[in-house]
Amino acid sequence: MTATTRRPAAPRGARERRWTVALVIVVAMVWSVSGLNVTLDRLLGAPGDAWAILRQMVPPAFARVHERGAVGKVFESVYIAWIGTVIGALLSLPLAFLAAHNVAPVWIRVPIRQLFNAIRAVPELILAVILIPITGLGPWAGTLAIGIHSIGTLGKWATESIESIDSGPIEAVESTGGRWVSNMRWAVFPQVMSTISSYWLFRFEINVRASAVLGMIGAGGVGSELVSHLVFRDFPAASAVLVLTVGVVLTIDTISAAVRRRIITGSVGKSEPSRSAEALSDLTGIKQR
Amino acid sequence: MTPTPGQSNRPVRPRLRTRTVSIAAALTAFTVFAAREVGFDPSTFWEVWSNPLWEKFWPIPWDWVFDSGNVLQPFVETFQIATISTILGCGLALPVSFAMSSLTAPNRPTYLVSRAVMNVVRAVPDLFWAKLMVTAIGIGAFAGSWALTIFSLAVMVKLFSETVDGADPGPLEAARAAGGRHAPALRTGILPTVFPDYVAHSLYVFELNVRASVVLGLVGAGGIGRVLEAQRQFFRFDRVLGMLVIIFVVVWIIEQVSVSLRKRLI
Amino acid sequence: MIRLEDLSVTYPGGVEALRGIDLTIDDGEFVVVVGLSGAGKSTLLRVLNGLVTATSGSVVVDGTQVVGASPATLRQVRSRIGMIFQTFNLVNRTSVLNNVLMGRLSVVPAWRSTLGLWPAEDREAAMVALERVGIVDKAYVRASNLSGGQQQRVGIARALAQEPRLMLADEPVAALDPVTSRQVMGDLQKINRELGITTLVNLHFLDLAKEYGRRLIGLRDGEMVFDGDIADVTDETFRDIYGRSITDEDLLAMGDSPADGTEDV
Repeated sequence: MTATTRRPAAPRGARERRWTVALVIVVAMVWSVSGLNVTLDRLLGAPGDAWAILRQMVPPAFARVHERGAVGKVFESVYIAWIGTVIGALLSLPLAFLAAHNVAPVWIRVPIRQLFNAIRAVPELILAVILIPITGLGPWAGTLAIGIHSIGTLGKWATESIESIDSGPIEAVESTGGRWVSNMRWAVFPQVMSTISSYWLFRFEINVRASAVLGMIGAGGVGSELVSHLVFRDFPAASAVLVLTVGVVLTIDTISAAVRRRIITGSVGKSEPSRSAEALSDLTGIKQR
Repeated sequence: MTPTPGQSNRPVRPRLRTRTVSIAAALTAFTVFAAREVGFDPSTFWEVWSNPLWEKFWPIPWDWVFDSGNVLQPFVETFQIATISTILGCGLALPVSFAMSSLTAPNRPTYLVSRAVMNVVRAVPDLFWAKLMVTAIGIGAFAGSWALTIFSLAVMVKLFSETVDGADPGPLEAARAAGGRHAPALRTGILPTVFPDYVAHSLYVFELNVRASVVLGLVGAGGIGRVLEAQRQFFRFDRVLGMLVIIFVVVWIIEQVSVSLRKRLI
Repeated sequence: MIRLEDLSVTYPGGVEALRGIDLTIDDGEFVVVVGLSGAGKSTLLRVLNGLVTATSGSVVVDGTQVVGASPATLRQVRSRIGMIFQTFNLVNRTSVLNNVLMGRLSVVPAWRSTLGLWPAEDREAAMVALERVGIVDKAYVRASNLSGGQQQRVGIARALAQEPRLMLADEPVAALDPVTSRQVMGDLQKINRELGITTLVNLHFLDLAKEYGRRLIGLRDGEMVFDGDIADVTDETFRDIYGRSITDEDLLAMGDSPADGTEDV
């Protein structure tokens, strides 16, 4: 092969762009690290410190934390997540009907959507910080924080599933002279209920993690156990609490995911797996292509 | 086809199935029990408005909030934590995600082990990591960065490995057919198609990190939450509220920027 | 009795669906409305029960003015008008009986229907409606488990459960096969004859129109171009209404094998 044809030159700019991006990342790293009070010996010492603690964590002191009632605390986290989810579900459901563009007039749906957005913007922990002075320390503060925060996401998801329904039955009920409430109950509700209840379960999975964290600032549940063991540098106990928590979280995830699959497939007769994937993409804010 | 109205062949109304009834009963019982355990107290909903503590939230001391040393300084620290942990976490996530996708895993054991480990890592809530790191390497932003790095890694591998799962296997097969070794085959066969998603997911993880780093300080891991926690313990809820307002405005702006960037990428 | 006077409908966006329609329909008539898709058939049916609002003119159904009526009046009017849809518009995830009971929503207090506490006489009315269309044995079956023809009969039963004075059917057989189409049209005809319910049916198939209609209304580009007894209808009439020759696609008998020529009726 002889190079008689003119070969195109590699396009300029691609290389430069790559280097610019690399430079930006390096500058961002340097700037970030400069603010973290990192000294060389801290940096070099960190893996060693972490390793030392990790070694003390094995074996976990299950018997000791069991005596202190850690198992009860883990369950308390589950109760908090459950009741928080129930509160969020019950309050968000009627609101979602008022927020969906295909069934609600604009003057009510815009403010309710904004309410959902505002609630979603406030993390549970911040809500708990505000609530604790009012309710006092304890699980009820955490439950309320989770319940309120759940209204935001559950409301948004429920609204979206209402907006995606078949509008035929709505027209049918309208044509019989039914009221708005009857229309929601008989034309919309049966269409969305299985999807929405699977969202509730999905939110419950998330809330179990959230309620574990809430305990760290005194809003009930297993978080307080972990904090107190770590403060006293009782690492075997801390790791036992950690293992218990992770075990419960993973168990609940597994059961709940199985139930959700059943709700979605069982109710339509055919598989509709996209819904739970959608729920995840709702949660993450990233639309799958 | 031409029946006359009457009591002829009407079906009997089906009874509720025992299974349905027992599931409903069990759920109700569990809910009632759980409600008692968490001290369910609906009176909070109406008594909250007459609570004298509300006065402590008002008026917001804007002078204090805008004094740069009080809020701005720790806020910058929050960003530094979020930035470094996004870069480190997402960087580490690139190879781990390839190991976790059935399409690109080098071998079966790597695939299974990386999935199992990442599932466990993700099951540990983010603030638990923060507290562990604070205990291990001391109070401050350094510990917070480590915690968020782990958190970013856990979230990123979940998102990105799913993208890799869904990628077109054709180019990868072509690269392997051409006799490429594993890593270079991935580099040329898969990475170009999934890279825009990788960047988009990274920006999203950065948003998550900004939010998460706001609360890190509540357990001593640096950033704006440190000030929040201090003011809370002094019962200066007016200052807390003022800071929250600032936090939400800034977080909201970052999200808008990041969302529009992500839209352009995908 | 239905009286339309100088009725026009313009949709947002400027599409003129109906222009200057004058029409009187007496009680007990069986009227078939034909026209190409987009000619305004669906709009004509929907202005009668107020699902579409007229831009100008007047629509009087049984002495009540529908144009500009209050929501309460509109509900009152609709409660006496049954409607049947091309796509059935059933709620698939609930039982046939629940679907039919929706026809009772205008007479049952909202709190009772919302809680599902349907009064016995309304359950009875729903059952009778199902018996009339011959599928009462499916009352407790999920609507999604029925065939297309059965689903449309549930749609008819839902309308019948309203105990209506007027029945509107918007392309009721467009989604059905020829055999089922004839059964459904037969049901509608029987209801019209036995119960004396005024019936308006939109149809696409001309042979069905000739077979079941007594009076025919032709719409073309939103204007009424024919109104007369079905006996006076010729192929020429259909050509006028459609503005083109009649093809196999316009006939139910041939409808399932798309046209290869332009054979006349």
